[in-house]
Amino acid sequence: MASLELRGIHKYFQQQHSINGVSLKVEDGELLILLGPSGCGKSTLMRIISGLDTPTEGEVLIDGQAVTRLRPKDRNVAMVFQNYALYPHLTLYENIAFPLRVRGTRGTDVDGKVRWAAKMVGIEHLLDRKPRQTSGGERQRTALARSLVRDPDVFLLDEPLSNLDAKMRHTAREELREFQHRVKGTWLYVTHDQTEAMGMGDRVAVLNQGQVRQIGTPQEIYLHPADMFVATFVGMPPMNLVETPADVIGFRPEHYLPRAFFRDEGELVDIPMRLRRVEYLGGERLFYGETEGNYPATRVIARIPATVPYSQEVGELAAFAVRAGDLSLFDPQTQLARPRTGDARVLPLRQRSA
Amino acid sequence: MSSPYSGGMTTARENRMVACLTLLPSTLILILLVAVPAVTVIGLSFTDSGLGDGSGAFVGWRNYAWVFRSGAFYQALINTAIWVFGSVGTEMVLGLGVALLLNRSFFGRGLARAITFAPYLIPTVVAVLVWRYMFHDVVGILNYLLVAVGAIDQPLNWLDTPSMAMFSVIVVGVWKFLPFSVLALLGMLQSIPQEQYEAARIDGASDLQQFLRITLPYVMPVFLLTALLRTIWTFHKFDIIYLMTGGGPMDATTTLPVLVYEKAFVDFEMGRAAAMAIVTAVILAALLAVYFMLIRRAEAKQ
Repeated sequence: MASLELRGIHKYFQQQHSINGVSLKVEDGELLILLGPSGCGKSTLMRIISGLDTPTEGEVLIDGQAVTRLRPKDRNVAMVFQNYALYPHLTLYENIAFPLRVRGTRGTDVDGKVRWAAKMVGIEHLLDRKPRQTSGGERQRTALARSLVRDPDVFLLDEPLSNLDAKMRHTAREELREFQHRVKGTWLYVTHDQTEAMGMGDRVAVLNQGQVRQIGTPQEIYLHPADMFVATFVGMPPMNLVETPADVIGFRPEHYLPRAFFRDEGELVDIPMRLRRVEYLGGERLFYGETEGNYPATRVIARIPATVPYSQEVGELAAFAVRAGDLSLFDPQTQLARPRTGDARVLPLRQRSA
Repeated sequence: MSSPYSGGMTTARENRMVACLTLLPSTLILILLVAVPAVTVIGLSFTDSGLGDGSGAFVGWRNYAWVFRSGAFYQALINTAIWVFGSVGTEMVLGLGVALLLNRSFFGRGLARAITFAPYLIPTVVAVLVWRYMFHDVVGILNYLLVAVGAIDQPLNWLDTPSMAMFSVIVVGVWKFLPFSVLALLGMLQSIPQEQYEAARIDGASDLQQFLRITLPYVMPVFLLTALLRTIWTFHKFDIIYLMTGGGPMDATTTLPVLVYEKAFVDFEMGRAAAMAIVTAVILAALLAVYFMLIRRAEAKQ
């Protein structure tokens, strides 16, 4: 088991700067999620770590050792591919045994290892099947078992759940997380799905345009986004951003509530909304509208649990507010979050609560 | 006409009618071009007909007995085996090699592919004329080049030496039909997902292991199918051999089709030629049965 570290990784493809100075460290036994939209460079980063690509600049370190110029097989890294990359002509057994066979491991050792790995992911009863005779979930678990037999230092998973249907994905997420706790090891997990990222990661690194925008726990990422990209990329629906002359103020839809809902909970910031549309989603309702009053007209969304009684006619001006402590402030030029200074902040366009 | 939804029996019968009617033209053509000649040849093989009279007397199995007693037949059988396995074997091995090269990305790959496929487009007669010229013992460029680089001391008589003629003919056959196996194998190689190789590299497989454990199993069904087709076509290939050497020198390149042709149209012994043709067909059929078994086994592995 080992840590994984990237130091100042740059990668150019032809003229394109696809990785722009990425540095991060995955601690021993940690699961770090690389979250980003498609084309943000997360798969390229995976390939650089696994050795399928070399960075134009920068170092990859595993357990403190530079492995940047080593061949893939000399890095002791295992990778689970998005489409699992199982060999169609081999049984699941032989697929799992593949890494051992190409290294010339003795037959009896192979058998023990394969059965152990298959048991870990619960596919012992399918070992005689060919990949095409199994379901997507079973293939995914086979790919996991194959990555396991070599006792790798680092596990790389490239969108391992994206080929499963929504229902399977949910259980697979739990299984995967449990699996990671069982086998330990250092895991780097790439996804564009924020539900996966928030639900599975010890920490999440948000990547965009080849740069790490923020690294932190799911809570940190969600509550205190480091810039406007993270604020809107993480969260469904995204954080509301309203531009004011001095700042861009941001607030999560679930913090943006009818004024009447608040009691003595400190400072409030009133942001009235002209209601345009209400969306009923079962567990919750989304209120779409436009800000009015002292704010430039901006589309905003409020989220209220369906169990909380609240009704408002479409077209009405509704009194909505956010607690001052729940506001995020961004610099409109750099798009970066302003440093948080606690509740004593003075807001430029704040309206005093009664 | 009633609508397709108007009822079970009528519709089913109408569908059968349409099917039969549309099949009729191709069935007729097949009967005329394949079934009738085949039956005629079988009939001929039991007679002592000459060319053109078609009214020979029934001789029973005597023609077949002659075929199996004839030394020329066995010599032609051996020549055919050398010709078929020499050509197809070389085409397949070389074809896989060339396909592997063309599957890599390099500068000018498009041009390289175009050049590789060119021989397939050149008419056989033209190709044979060019090659005969190149093989010529006095003015041929092959001898000139080989002497120039010091590979041989004196010009070789490529087509007129019994021990070399078959080799020369195989060279031309391979040159002409290599593109076919390259095309088939290249198509298969391009369909192998790149992730398979990447996964194998991370798992520690060497280039040779990747070839043996991924590439080869992937292309095997197509490889065998191509070999099967090439075997059929090479087995009864006539034009290249006959135009290059006429079956000579000293019958060194007389394969079964050449021998059948000579029996029928040089010796005018249609009955014996027909018997030989039937025996040839049976041998080919036995060969194909082996291929089909191999293909089935390879496909079952997928």
